[in-house]
Amino acid sequence: MKETLIKLQPWFGLVSRLTLGGVLFAAGYIKVRSPDESQMSVRAYEMLPNSIANALGLVLPIIEIVIGTLLILGALTRLMAAFGGLIMVAFVIAIAQAWARGLNIDCGCFGGGGAVEPGETKYLQAILRDAGLAFLAAYLIRYPLSKFSLDKNSSKKTSQEEVA
Amino acid sequence: MAQAKNPKGGKDNFTRNLVIAVVLGVALIMLVPTVLSKQTNESAAIPSSVSAEDGYGIVFNKELQDVPFIEIYEDFQCPACQRFEAIVGEYLEELITTKKAKVAYHPLSFLGPESKLAANAAGCAANEGKFIQFHKLLYANQPAENSGAWSAAYFSNLGLALGTSSEFDKCVAKNQYQDWVVNVANEGAKRNINSTPTAFINGKEIDRSKAYNSLAEFMLAVSKA
Repeated sequence: MKETLIKLQPWFGLVSRLTLGGVLFAAGYIKVRSPDESQMSVRAYEMLPNSIANALGLVLPIIEIVIGTLLILGALTRLMAAFGGLIMVAFVIAIAQAWARGLNIDCGCFGGGGAVEPGETKYLQAILRDAGLAFLAAYLIRYPLSKFSLDKNSSKKTSQEEVA
Repeated sequence: MAQAKNPKGGKDNFTRNLVIAVVLGVALIMLVPTVLSKQTNESAAIPSSVSAEDGYGIVFNKELQDVPFIEIYEDFQCPACQRFEAIVGEYLEELITTKKAKVAYHPLSFLGPESKLAANAAGCAANEGKFIQFHKLLYANQPAENSGAWSAAYFSNLGLALGTSSEFDKCVAKNQYQDWVVNVANEGAKRNINSTPTAFINGKEIDRSKAYNSLAEFMLAVSKA
């Protein structure tokens, strides 16, 4: 059982990388083409001063694309997984506070965003999805070694084999 | 290259580092034009009835004092804006023609390229004194979002129905007011407009749960102002 897990670990790593990276890349790619909408969706959370929210709305999609691309390629896996995980935790916090304050907004995770009709919010789905992605990020931080990665396995304790 | 071989006998990280550099470089190249394109250009060409101090909106009855000031933020591609227009459009037109309100329209373009083209065309129509009519026609012919239906040629055809001049066709074809469209969007962003339609009466947003869906409620809100 343990040996099977050890053998499968790089494949789990690959799946985690592609899932987390793929979602980040797609989310960034959709949003980067409509900066006005992206800015609006950040403002709608009512967490940040207007000017900072507008700046974040421009920059965030590009950050998502960079992290997503590097994760898909498997470059700097551990660091990028850490950034990706951090972003997911931030998203969970942002969505949870919007929910708790009774705002009626779309998460704007994949484009869209802004105010929606009461009853059309999808907070739970978004939180569950982002929490799941944060879990994948945590797995990659713990075991960054994975199949088909550009990272060369020079650091220690990156696979289950080595910690076992 | 001393580090060309790492202890594991694998290759060094040259390929990986090159990939990282390329990805970061491309990201930077994407970021710069995005940020630059969002700068407000104060010397941008603006349609005739636009007032920079009213957030670059297209303003009717600008000279009137002591009347309610109604501001509408809309995106011509947004279905909710189409519904809102169907509910309050005629009433607003009546307020404008009977000089009972000062009204500013802000054509936002967050839904994408065809919203930008439509906003520009609306600016061109404003130059001909036909903004309201054009605005109505746009909503009457609202296609699916960014389906490719709204083009310069399409707007010229709409203009034909309104008897616009050849200036209008040129203005639409040249995308003459594209910088103004950016300015309108920036002002909307500064004012924290997170939804279309958004309507203000005397600087205060109308009740989102009521006044967007009912003409009676909207009229009530105007009469209270």
